[in-house]
Amino acid sequence: MTGLSSPILRASSTLAFFMANTLSLYLLLRGHHAPGGGFIAGLVTASSVVLLGYARGPEKFGRVLGADPGLIAGIGLAVAGATALVPILFGRAALEHFFWILGNNGWSFGTALIFDVGVFLVVVGVTTKVVASFAASSCGLPALVAEEERRYSSPSEEPLEGTRAN
Amino acid sequence: MSLGLGLALVLLLPAAGALAVALVPRRWLPFPGFIALGVAMASLCGVLAIGSKAGAHPSFVLDWSWVPECGLSLSFLVDGLSLFFAVIVLGMGVLVLVYSRGYMAGREGDHRRFYAGLLFFMGSMLGTVFSNNLLLLFIFWELTGLASFLLIGFEHTSEEARRGARMSLLVTAVTGLVMLLGIVMLKQVTGTYDLATILRSPLPQTHKDWLDACLVLLVVGAFGKSAIFPFHFWLPNAMTAPTPVSAYLHSATMVKLGIFLCARLFPIFGERELWAPLLGVPAFSTMLLGAVLALMSSDLKAILAYSTVSQLGYLIGYYALGPNGGVDYDYLHILNHLFYKGSLFMVAGIVEHAAGSRDIGKLGGLAPRLPLTAASCAIACAAMAGLPLTTGFLSKEFMLKEIFSAFSVHGYLGSFAVVCVVLTSLLKVAFSAKIILRVFFGKEPETVTAHFHAPSAWMTLPPAVLSGCALLAGIAPSFLNPLLQPFTVPGLHAGTAEHFQIWHGWTRELWVSLAVVLAGLALYRVSHYGDRPCPGVPSYLKAERLFEWLHEKTIAAGRASVRLFQTDREQSAVLAVTAFAGVTLGAFAWKQVFAGGFGPLLQFVDFTGGMSPLRLLVGVFIVLPALGLVLFRSWGGQLACLGISGFMVTVYFVLGRAPDLALTQLLVETVSIVAIYLLLGRCAKQGLLEQWSDLPSSAMAQGLRVAVSCSVAAAVGVLILVVTGMPHHNPVGNFFIRHTEDMAHGKNAVNTILVDFRGLDTLGEITVLLAAMLGCLGLLMRYRRNSEEQKQGRDLTPGLGLGEEGKS
Repeated sequence: MTGLSSPILRASSTLAFFMANTLSLYLLLRGHHAPGGGFIAGLVTASSVVLLGYARGPEKFGRVLGADPGLIAGIGLAVAGATALVPILFGRAALEHFFWILGNNGWSFGTALIFDVGVFLVVVGVTTKVVASFAASSCGLPALVAEEERRYSSPSEEPLEGTRAN
Repeated sequence: MSLGLGLALVLLLPAAGALAVALVPRRWLPFPGFIALGVAMASLCGVLAIGSKAGAHPSFVLDWSWVPECGLSLSFLVDGLSLFFAVIVLGMGVLVLVYSRGYMAGREGDHRRFYAGLLFFMGSMLGTVFSNNLLLLFIFWELTGLASFLLIGFEHTSEEARRGARMSLLVTAVTGLVMLLGIVMLKQVTGTYDLATILRSPLPQTHKDWLDACLVLLVVGAFGKSAIFPFHFWLPNAMTAPTPVSAYLHSATMVKLGIFLCARLFPIFGERELWAPLLGVPAFSTMLLGAVLALMSSDLKAILAYSTVSQLGYLIGYYALGPNGGVDYDYLHILNHLFYKGSLFMVAGIVEHAAGSRDIGKLGGLAPRLPLTAASCAIACAAMAGLPLTTGFLSKEFMLKEIFSAFSVHGYLGSFAVVCVVLTSLLKVAFSAKIILRVFFGKEPETVTAHFHAPSAWMTLPPAVLSGCALLAGIAPSFLNPLLQPFTVPGLHAGTAEHFQIWHGWTRELWVSLAVVLAGLALYRVSHYGDRPCPGVPSYLKAERLFEWLHEKTIAAGRASVRLFQTDREQSAVLAVTAFAGVTLGAFAWKQVFAGGFGPLLQFVDFTGGMSPLRLLVGVFIVLPALGLVLFRSWGGQLACLGISGFMVTVYFVLGRAPDLALTQLLVETVSIVAIYLLLGRCAKQGLLEQWSDLPSSAMAQGLRVAVSCSVAAAVGVLILVVTGMPHHNPVGNFFIRHTEDMAHGKNAVNTILVDFRGLDTLGEITVLLAAMLGCLGLLMRYRRNSEEQKQGRDLTPGLGLGEEGKS
C-alpha cells in the first residue's frame, strides 16, 4: 500500500502541510490574545500530519514526524508539568505564570506560552500516534514496531497485527 | 554529635543501604553482603552510642514535623524498651548477615535483592520500635510486613513461597489495619497520637467502653503480627522463606513486634480488667497448641516455626499476667528465645544445606560430621527444653515462679496458665529431644552420605555465638543483671528484679522442672518409639482452612460481580446503559421542571420566536444529516452524515461569537471522523455490522429500542433547556473575563482560563489524553479469538476486522 496514487495530490499535500503548520504556529503564538492556543494549534498540526500520512501511505504514516509521536506526547506532558513544578522550586504556587514585556514594541512573553507548547505537543503526539496506528492496523500492517509491541501487549496474547504480517 | 543527628543516622543508614544495594549497578557497588554488614554494624554502634550517652533510664523524644494537619510527625521515643529492641534487631541482624554470606554463596545473582530486602526490613523495624507517634508506628509496622512479604516470596518461582508470602501479607496487613482503627480511637479518647504523652498521663476515666474497644483492636494487631491464635497459621507457611530470613524475621524480630506492642501498651492498659483475660487466654492457648503441633511436625523448620508460635504465646501471656506494679523478667525471656531459636534456625539451615533435607525422618548421625553445629544445636535445644546452665532454665524458673504467685490473683486464668505452662514445658522437652536425637544421632541415611558437603565457617559461627551466649548467660547469670538494668522502663518494669543465680535452692519451681523434664523425655520415648515416623500435622489443626475459604470466597465474589456487569457483546449492554442514562437524566429534568414550573421551557419558545432565518437554516442542516444517520444502511454514508451534522454545529458557535469553540469543534470533528472511519474500516465486512444483525430483532425489540432512544433524546433535550434556563447567581466566568488582562496578561479569556486560571485542569486533561493513548495502543495489541480459532490454535489469522482478505 503506497498512499494516494495521484501525484498532484501527493505534491499538494506537502504544500498543504507547510501552509497548515504556518497557520498552526500563528495560532499557537497568538493564542493568549486572540482565538487560538495550544489545543487548537495542536489539532491543526495533527490534521496536517494526518493529511500527509494519507498521502504517503500507512507504512510511512507513523514516521511522518521523524520521531515517535508517543515520545513527542510524553515530552509535551513533561514540558507542561515542568511549568507546574518549576515555580514550586522558587517558593511560588504551582502553575503560577510570569510575564515579561519585551521592549516597547508591544511584544511580550509569558511562561503560559511554554505551558501551551506542552499542550500542543501532547495533542499532536497523541492524535498522530492513535490515528497512525489505526491506519496501519486497518490496512493489515503492524501498528507498532516490534519493540513497542512488547511494551503494550500482554505475554498471553498474540498482537493482532503481528500474526497478519507473517 | 547530638542525639538527634545520631538517631537520624541510625534510622537512615539501613534505608540508604537498601536503596544503594538495590539500585546501584553491581559494577559500581560489588559485595552487597559486606555493604549490608557494614551498614548493620554502623547502625549497631550508633544505637550503642546513643544508649551510653543517654545514660540509665533514658526517656526523651526527638521530634521532626511531617504532616501536622493530621497529627502525623516524625517523632521518635528513645527509652529502654526501644533501645533494647533496637539492639536486638541490629545485633541479630549482624549475625544473620554473616550467616547469609554462607547461605547465599553460589547465588551471586540474587544477592542484591536479598540484602536490599534485609536492610529494608531492618530500617522499618528500627522505625517501628523508635516511633513515638502512633500513626508513624503504624506506617513502619506495615512496612515490616511488606519487607516480610518480599523476603518470604524471595524464591518467587515457587508456588509455595508465593502462597506463604501472600498469606503472611494478608494476615499481618489486615490485622495492622485493625490496629490502625484502634490507634485512631485511642486518639479520639486521649486527644493525641503522641505515645510519650499517653504514657505520661493516666487514661481518662470516662469512655471506659471505648477504651476497651481500643484495647481489643490494638491487641488484634499485635496478635496478627505475633501469630497468636487464631492468626497462628501464617508463621509456619512463612517458612518457605530462605533460612536466614526465617531466623531473623520469623523468630527473632518481626514476630516480636506483637510483644513489643504489648510492652508499650502495658503501662497504658495494664490495669484494666480486660487486659489479663484478653491477652492471657489466646496467648496461653496458642502456647500449648504450638507446642503440640511442633511435636507432631517432621519438617525441621516447621517444628521451629510451631515452637516459635508457642514461645510468642508464652511471652504475651507473661505480659497478660503481669502484676499492676510492672513486670520484671520480660527481657530475660526475649533474650532467651533470641539465643536459642536464632541458633536453631541457623542450624536448620546448615543441616538443609549440608544434608539436602529438612525432614527429620530422612536425617540422622550428623554429629561426627558437624561437631560445632551439633554442639550449638545441643546447647540451644537444652535452652529450649529449659535445662539447667542455660538461659532457658532461668527463663522457665522465673516464669513458673510468677505464675505460681499469680495463681491466687487471677483466679481461673491463673490455673489455666499453670496447666498450659507446665504442659508446654513438657512438650518442649520432648521436641527438643526429638530435634537433637533425630538429626545428629542415630544411623546416617544413605541419601545424606551421598549429598553431604561441609558448610563454610560463615554459616557455622553465628549459631555457635548465639548458643555460646545462651550457655554463658546460663552459667554466669549474675552478669545479665547489670546488662539489662539500664533498659528498664518505669511503668513497664517494677524494678524489683531478683538477682539472677544458678542455684535458687530446692524450690517448688525446681521440683516442677525436674518432673517436667522427666515426663517430657518419657513422652518423647513413647511418642517416637523406635523409628516410628512423625505423625505430621493433621489439616484440621492447621487452621488455614478458614483463611483459604475466605480467600477463595472473596475471589469468587469478585468474579461473580464482574460477570454481573461485564459482557462480551457491547451491543447487549447498549440498551441497558442508554435506558439508565435516560431514566436518571429524565428524573433530574422532571424534578427541575416540577420545581421551577414551565418558565424555562416558555423562555425557549420566546427564544425561537426571535430566531433569525440563518439560524433556522443551520438548524435544518444539523437535523437533516442526523436523520440520514438513521436511514442510511451503509456506514460510509452514516459517517458522512455524522460529519456534516458536526460541522454544522460549528456555524452555531460562530453565530454565538465563540471563535475558539468553533475552531476546536471543527478540528476535533475532522480528526475524530478520520479516526472513526479508520476503525470502521477494520470491521467492514463481517465485524460489527454482522453482530448488529445477529441481534434478535423482533418488532417488539425494535419498538423498545426506538422508544428508549426517543425518550432519552427528549430527556436530554428538556434537561438542556432547563439547565441553560436556570439563573446563575454568581457565574465564575464573569470573574475570568474581568480579570483576564490584569491577572493573566492575556486578552483571550478562553485561553487564559485554559493555561492560567484553570491550568491544573488542563494539565490533568492532557495527562488523561496521554493515558488514553496508551490504553488505545494496549487495546490494539489485544486479540480476541472466536471459538473456532481457539480450537485451531495460535497460528491462525485473527478474526475480528481482517475477514476474508486476511485469510487468503
